Amino acid sequence: MSPRHHLDETTVLGWASGALSPEMAAVAATHLDVCRHCRSRLATAEGIGGTLLEQQQPSTDDAMRMPHLREHMLAALDAHPNRRVPPRREEATAGPDNLPRALHPYFGTSWRSLRWRWLAPGVRMIRALRTSGHALILLRIDPGMSMPLHSHGGIELTQVLAGSYDDELGHFGVGDAADLGPETLHRPVTSAGGPCVCVAALDAPLRFPGWFARMLQPLVGL
Amino acid sequence: MNIRTLPIGVSPFDQTRAMSSSGAHPTEDAGYWSWQMAAVSERRDRDSFMRIYDHFAPRVRLYLRGLGSTESQAEELAQEALLRLWQRADRFDAMRGSVSTWLFRIARNLHIDRVRREPLWQSIGEEWIDEDIPPANTTERHVEQTDLAARIDTLPAVQARLLRMSYFEAKSHQEIADELVMPLGTVKSHLRRAFLKLQSGLKEFP
Ligand SMILES: [Zn+2]
Repeated sequence: MSPRHHLDETTVLGWASGALSPEMAAVAATHLDVCRHCRSRLATAEGIGGTLLEQQQPSTDDAMRMPHLREHMLAALDAHPNRRVPPRREEATAGPDNLPRALHPYFGTSWRSLRWRWLAPGVRMIRALRTSGHALILLRIDPGMSMPLHSHGGIELTQVLAGSYDDELGHFGVGDAADLGPETLHRPVTSAGGPCVCVAALDAPLRFPGWFARMLQPLVGL
Repeated sequence: MNIRTLPIGVSPFDQTRAMSSSGAHPTEDAGYWSWQMAAVSERRDRDSFMRIYDHFAPRVRLYLRGLGSTESQAEELAQEALLRLWQRADRFDAMRGSVSTWLFRIARNLHIDRVRREPLWQSIGEEWIDEDIPPANTTERHVEQTDLAARIDTLPAVQARLLRMSYFEAKSHQEIADELVMPLGTVKSHLRRAFLKLQSGLKEFP
């Protein structure tokens, strides 16, 4: 899989520095898992972290505590001889029923066990519980549906898991990320064929204009 | 000293920077540490490992305290990060990154897992590195790391400061914007420019 739409530089930096909310990180991870290009950019961003770490200058105060910690470490080296650990192979690539692993803590492991909630004709949703303040949702939209024009109060990070859609920014298929700032106004239209399933993290309410908003927002609670 | 308690006008990172440039031979650093690390993975050389420990453990503790670990958490997690380097030395390949980057990644993941208690971070990320980064010749990697350090030093002051706030306090871009009374879009475009500048000239793997 070779995604054509990628994470924004600030999202890659945010991952590397540990600055993303858990929900944004979960969506970013579903992209990174399938995108070599973004993993390469992440390696650079982590290299920046390593370089900054190296440039830190510990105070002499800190060095004072060294002897005691150093002794502990020497003792630990004896207690833990280095061992050959076989590279871990996650069961992540298991069956077609498996959800992306980064979503497991929020939505479980299985596509079939998802309990979709009807939201509007052709639109179903699941909202993750136990989030940190940012919303994390799965959206399932029937083929050939036109979503109303909307913008976002803040950042929206979306990853396409199945199907595809088109909007002002282009065509988004499986593996593509839409990393949108508050200024983006768009009107997604899902493609013919199967339903389009996306996972999205939002740091502020969606803003729909007009009747759709009045109907939808109390339901979505976003 | 907690770097968060410094007055905001005086960036502790600018001080750090000024001091670090007077340190030992920066152009040889990455190569030197990889060489020590090779002795650890090939011969389980304790002296080499303790040289790495003496240099990096205080830096990792400082980094963890900046992220918000307490003093004792930072000590505990730094010990664990270094111990992991010892235990998994055979998986460390000098050609696939530097010791400092490896430790940075481990320390960050430990902090997010133990202090912030987010489940995602222990399981994800390590195999991205193992699988993806193609072996490069060792000299090439050191040139890249040295190059990166030099590029960071030439960033405009505001970009360097935002980068350090982001990495060393793990602040969200919104929190940085609030703290500096700067529009979020401005923070992001500074960071974006900084990243692109640091990335340019580094080889991307295919
Ligand atoms: Zn990508």
